Amino acid sequence: MLGQALCLPFGYLGATTRDCPLQRHHIFKPVLLRINMHIKKFLITTLCLGMSLTISQAMAEANKPLKVCAAENEMPYSNKAGEGFENKLANLVGTALGRKVVYVTWTDPRYYIRDTLDKGLCDIAIGVDKGDPRVLTTQPYYRSGYVFITRKTDDLDLKNWDSEALRKVQRIAFVPDTPPEVMIRAIGRYNDMFNYSQELVGFKSKRNEYVKYETSKLVSEVSSGHAEVAALWGPSAARYVKASTTPLLMTVIPDDNVRADGQKVGSHYSTSMGVRKNDPTLLAQLNKVIEDSRDEITKLLEEEGVPLLPETDTSKKS
Amino acid sequence: MQTKDYSASHFSEMSQINAHNVQHLQPVWSFSTGILNGHEGGPLVIDGIMYVHTPYPNNIFAIDLDNPEKILWEHKPKQNPAARAVACCDVVNRGLAYAPASADYPATIFQNQLDGHVVALNAKTGELLWKMENSDISMGSTLTMAPFVAKDLVLVGSAGAELGVRGYTTAYSIKDGKQVWRVYATGPDADLKLAKDFNSHNPHYGQFGLGLKTWEGDAWKIGGGTNWGWYAFDPDLDMLYYGSGNPAPWNETMRPGDNKWTMTIWGRDINTGEAKFGYQKTPHDEWDYAGVNYMGLSEQLVDGKMTKLLTHPDRNGLVYTMNRENGDLVNAFKIDDTVNWVKKVDLKTGLPIRDPEFSTHMDHEAKGICPSAMGYHNQGIESYDPNKKLFFMGTNHICMDWEPFMLPYRAGQFFVGATLNMYPGPKGTLGQVKAMNSVTGKFEWEIKEKFAVWGGTTATAGDLVFYGTLDGQIKALDSRNGKELWKFKLPSGVIGHPITFGHKGKQYVAIYYGVGGWPGVGLVFDLQDPTAGLGAVGAFKELAHYTQQGGGVMVFALGY
Repeated sequence: MLGQALCLPFGYLGATTRDCPLQRHHIFKPVLLRINMHIKKFLITTLCLGMSLTISQAMAEANKPLKVCAAENEMPYSNKAGEGFENKLANLVGTALGRKVVYVTWTDPRYYIRDTLDKGLCDIAIGVDKGDPRVLTTQPYYRSGYVFITRKTDDLDLKNWDSEALRKVQRIAFVPDTPPEVMIRAIGRYNDMFNYSQELVGFKSKRNEYVKYETSKLVSEVSSGHAEVAALWGPSAARYVKASTTPLLMTVIPDDNVRADGQKVGSHYSTSMGVRKNDPTLLAQLNKVIEDSRDEITKLLEEEGVPLLPETDTSKKS
Repeated sequence: MQTKDYSASHFSEMSQINAHNVQHLQPVWSFSTGILNGHEGGPLVIDGIMYVHTPYPNNIFAIDLDNPEKILWEHKPKQNPAARAVACCDVVNRGLAYAPASADYPATIFQNQLDGHVVALNAKTGELLWKMENSDISMGSTLTMAPFVAKDLVLVGSAGAELGVRGYTTAYSIKDGKQVWRVYATGPDADLKLAKDFNSHNPHYGQFGLGLKTWEGDAWKIGGGTNWGWYAFDPDLDMLYYGSGNPAPWNETMRPGDNKWTMTIWGRDINTGEAKFGYQKTPHDEWDYAGVNYMGLSEQLVDGKMTKLLTHPDRNGLVYTMNRENGDLVNAFKIDDTVNWVKKVDLKTGLPIRDPEFSTHMDHEAKGICPSAMGYHNQGIESYDPNKKLFFMGTNHICMDWEPFMLPYRAGQFFVGATLNMYPGPKGTLGQVKAMNSVTGKFEWEIKEKFAVWGGTTATAGDLVFYGTLDGQIKALDSRNGKELWKFKLPSGVIGHPITFGHKGKQYVAIYYGVGGWPGVGLVFDLQDPTAGLGAVGAFKELAHYTQQGGGVMVFALGY
């Protein structure tokens, strides 16, 4: 990883070299000379830092804080107070790299890759889908699934989307535009859940703005008995299920669902860390951290209550 | 009534104030409502009393015109504050309605509350006579429209299409608030209440079973088609007219089909609610062109024959004129030549011929769609001068870019939506006022306004057209040529309509000031993002340099 070329497509940041965040740092002076040479060479098409990091440079980088793109308030992933499980994971990574973690927070998950990571304001997104095309993704560090959350006492016979219970229950809580929405449509419950779904966010229209579905609220819908079932991404609900005073059951939804047109509707996903496409150095460092700290990461996720699934063979390498 | 009469003419035969002396108009008294949100609609004046209403919390003040210094009575309802959060675009209310005394009930004032209740008050004392729940805010349904009174009925619509409300219209008995009939905009024919001869005169509009067949599965149950706009009534035909609004959900790819009978002009029997005709203006809407606008009735010559007509300036930028006895389409023309989503309406089929360039499909970024989602005409009440055979229209001149987005998040979740940017149309300003012959589609004159003319117009036999502007002017134009004769700067911008009334032999003009509503949403909530309020914040960003929030009524008379 050290000695790999760091390539910035020119204009990718919408910037001139003056705006390059690296340039302001005195330790990169030798590199800057190369930048100038390369600009002459490649003119305006590509800005390539043919960057052979020396050991001293690597050490200098180690002293730099690790800038993590995190949500200001997107629990249970992360928040400003650092209470999310991705905050904990970020701290774990920082410790492993010997770098101080600095959070650069965002408020709108729709645009955070574009507006923070891609702009170089921060360098790492802790949780993205493996293979997210907008970023370089590490090898996955966990795999989990969408789950049905029910009250234990209800004893619903709920195994998959074909289960009869889903046709009978009064309310199913879900987050719009997730795979469960596709399946709720498929079993013919979307239209009679539409109004309930709007009610969960106080009838805010998501057409033109980010409307957050708080998974804590959706889980409490089940624990309070207002809804019989919530269909949620397991990691997003785990700690609330664990904390519920009403005993709740999490049933991982099998990954065998298809739409009417035969296209697969995913229920299980592998999560990776993401870095900018021009940052293979950090990618390699993170891959190593994941490899070295696998047990710690797993323990952290188990404490969160995340239902963990075995990696499939093809998803081992990214 | 807000529409002044059953025909919604908004025309006064009074001519004491006229084109020759209007420049002498000056304020004679004013009254602050104490509420700062947008004031839509207008005050009512009946038997020497002015009834002033406010947006949420929906207070009412009765003012004796003999002694306007003192409040005669007031009504301050207790409402569920949750209603505020549900309302989409400011907490407006479009006004009160009045029913004269009869053997069964005293003179009554009707009000729709934002929290979904309809209340009846004694017009002389303000005493509460009855209160009914029409809409359930816990289901996302609010009430912003003015009630409409005809015969012994008070008619109330519904709002909240985007939130899964299936549009309905209800007739309540004036006497006790008992429900007489309720009809829906989507679903089985029995719910739509189609007459046996529904659309028999125009079978190509579609007839039976379409409230189900033009939807996928049971999507009609959340299909929208609410109606929060204006109604009209023909006492000779005993027919009621109104428009149902946009289909839901907003993302058109989720609701394949024509989505009948959203976006429809209805002609119904007032006694039973049965539909005699229904004409869908925008099948499968993609732009939020909610079809609830003004319905103006007139009698004019069509092919040499005096005909009972209905004229409707739609959000979609087209003006429809129909034979209101049988639903025949007499004419459908663009309210402005810059309308581009549609090339024209085929009068034989009644169908709009669309331009795919301005479609809002998920895979298509449409630039410069005219009109914007606000429509070239929105909630304003217009006026019709029967002597000149002219409608006077206050319009919006706003276009938009519609950029759909589908952004990945995690675990297969996507954020699906669209970013709307709105801006002045090709003619450079945000509004216009136009004098229009609704049969020929010819415009006698038109003038530009810097901002949208949101609230509508009032015309008089004194050759005048009055209207208010968003930046807070009340203006009088010569209705013969559009020449501006008088204006006065009000304390805040106008989104309601002016009225004129006589009292003790003297003619007055009155208007609400109080900027807000959809165009003023940026001022009300202090929004900066230009795409907020579905793009209204960007379109009206200049407004803050001209006016600020306020709320009240101002009354004018000749000063000599």
